[in-house]
Amino acid sequence: MRQGVSKWSLERKRRTFCYLSLLPVFGIFTIIRIIPIARTFILSLTDASLISLKSNFIGFENYKNLITDDLFHQALVNTTLFAFSTVCLSVVLGLLLSLLMKRKTTLSPLYETIYFLPVITPMVPVAIIWKWIYDPSYGLINYMLSWFGVKPIGWLVYPNIALWAIVILSVWKVVGYNMMIFLVGLRNIPSMYYEAALIDGAIGANLFRYITLPLLKPILLFITVVTTINSYNVFTQVYVMTTGLQGAPGNTVRVLVYDIWENAFRYSRMGYASAEAVILFSIILLLTLVQFKIVKSES
Amino acid sequence: MKKAFLVLSVIVLVVCTISAGGKTEKSQAAQPITLSLWGGWPEIQPVYEKVAADYTKLHPNVTIKILTHPLREFEQKLSATIPADQASDIIEASPYPVQKFIAAGLLPPAPPKIVEYMTKAGRFPEALVEANKGEDGKYYGLNYFQGRHAIFWNTDMFKEAGLPGAPKTMDELISYAQKLAKRDAQGNLIRSGLSLRLSGGGSGVGEKFWMYLYPFGGSIIEQAPNGKWKAGYNNEAGFNTLKMYIDMVWKFKTDDHKIKHDAEAFQLQQTAMFARESWVIGDTKKKAPALNYDTAPMPRGTRWGDLSTGVNLYVSRSCKNPDTAWDFILFLNSDENLRYLLDTTGWLPQRMDADLKASLDKEPRYKAFLFSHPDYKIFTYPTLPEYDEILTKFAERMVKAFLDSSLVDNPDGIRKVLADAAAETNAILKRAGKLAE
Repeated sequence: MRQGVSKWSLERKRRTFCYLSLLPVFGIFTIIRIIPIARTFILSLTDASLISLKSNFIGFENYKNLITDDLFHQALVNTTLFAFSTVCLSVVLGLLLSLLMKRKTTLSPLYETIYFLPVITPMVPVAIIWKWIYDPSYGLINYMLSWFGVKPIGWLVYPNIALWAIVILSVWKVVGYNMMIFLVGLRNIPSMYYEAALIDGAIGANLFRYITLPLLKPILLFITVVTTINSYNVFTQVYVMTTGLQGAPGNTVRVLVYDIWENAFRYSRMGYASAEAVILFSIILLLTLVQFKIVKSES
Repeated sequence: MKKAFLVLSVIVLVVCTISAGGKTEKSQAAQPITLSLWGGWPEIQPVYEKVAADYTKLHPNVTIKILTHPLREFEQKLSATIPADQASDIIEASPYPVQKFIAAGLLPPAPPKIVEYMTKAGRFPEALVEANKGEDGKYYGLNYFQGRHAIFWNTDMFKEAGLPGAPKTMDELISYAQKLAKRDAQGNLIRSGLSLRLSGGGSGVGEKFWMYLYPFGGSIIEQAPNGKWKAGYNNEAGFNTLKMYIDMVWKFKTDDHKIKHDAEAFQLQQTAMFARESWVIGDTKKKAPALNYDTAPMPRGTRWGDLSTGVNLYVSRSCKNPDTAWDFILFLNSDENLRYLLDTTGWLPQRMDADLKASLDKEPRYKAFLFSHPDYKIFTYPTLPEYDEILTKFAERMVKAFLDSSLVDNPDGIRKVLADAAAETNAILKRAGKLAE
């Protein structure tokens, strides 16, 4: 009995220590994440302005206005197209590259470094370099296309083409990260599974389908979720390549974060921008839950 | 004895007063003052630095720190820092984007001494002084430099095309542009006849459209007698202006989205003419000193005039030494420092009574920007906090319209674009309670 009490007391002490240790992290997380998100929800129900201390509660008026806002619709469509394309391309390419580089050779570290370099390069200089590559008059791409008699293309001029031009840059930037994570997953699959499958007569695509892919699912889920979240938050490359400067060569590819930024910091409409942010938050949350659900049900 | 005591008392009093007074003055003089100035035109930074150094020579206790950013980033910085009282002591900005801060009471009005200086007849253009008024009727900031426009035209290209000189009317502008455009063997445009602002972020596309809309008789917004506003381009003037853009890009093909534009195109000899502010002269001196070009006033239509965008200097609410800040702003507006501004950057001072003769003799192409004629009206931005949103959203619609080749010879299409844009403009005005119904 006495021993049981002291064991329980030790357990309680351990738990208290754990909670106390987590408290600072939880405190910081509450201050920098939970409170701002809750505040955004509250702001979305007001007509708050960046430059005014007073704001009025207006219920769901901001959300009602968003339904008829053409610019918001355009931003939503563009962002969804961008996110869907970037996620699909970067996940598939990342997986293909990691399969090619799975076997360790003396040159593996060099190739891994080369593919990973775009990930660690800051987005602003990268976007500026790609802007030059896409330049209609002096750009590298149009120069190379001219060898085959292709007329100059305004890559960043026409919004439809510009969106895909930005997708290419974004995939190039993120694919190295996805490849590295897949590579870690691939190299951690125990070889005995493959050996057993080979004994059972499985070869090539079957090995990938029945051994590699199922065992990579947690990694696949992680990469898909992270890439989806990052893709829905696209801003820097769009701003630098098509919007940032007066008389910039490109035209605005309106994406959600750009629309939120413009309403909040250009027109000072914080309440309206908060409503957009809440919708963006909801979309990402929903997609993440769906992705979790799909992977969980399959496993 | 009594007299001696009295004399002694007076002497002691005088000595004490002098020493006390002297001490106060000395301590004030020695009190170090640091001011900060933020601007949105980085090319002016060297001017501020030189003038600040000169000011420090005159007032050794005053140090002025200068920080400039590209304009769009600067506007965001102001939005984030002015409401939080974290902005600089002196802020360089155009009156129209600061209207929202003025309306919210976040910037203090100019003191009486500055108002008296600003409103002296003939000192600054009347329209630009009027633009300094907030909705409360008080004056804010002090005028510094301005963006007046003129046509830049390449004299060699005009000679080659057999044209006598700069276009004087809107009809000439359109017809000259067609004669000046040049294509390669494959038919690709390699030199535009007139470089239009067809793309880019912010309100710039709208502003440049407005410059051509004015001679056609329109405006972005127009004021009703009751003081309220409504869209001023959903009419024949707007139709003619948008048609001019569409025709130049898609019908006459005197400009193309895929070639260089603006000052860069002019300096690279990839456009024969374009309309811009005087800073291009200073910029071209550095980047293309051998370029043969001249400047001319904006062409005439049913009316004649030029858009002037004033840039002012404001003292922030959080400034701890506003008197010194205003004194420095007045120092920047001295004849000598304004000549230095013009010579160094090409930006035109707003002060009309400044002696700029030496600068104009050195560079006569500035004269087109100071052109004056009874019919040549100077117009500027309305003092409306919502105008930035109106112009930016209008610009975005125009950028899309310029890309739409189906608008060629399609009057109904052009009218629909204008009607949709006007509905948006009027909705913004309505939301602000300023729509003239």
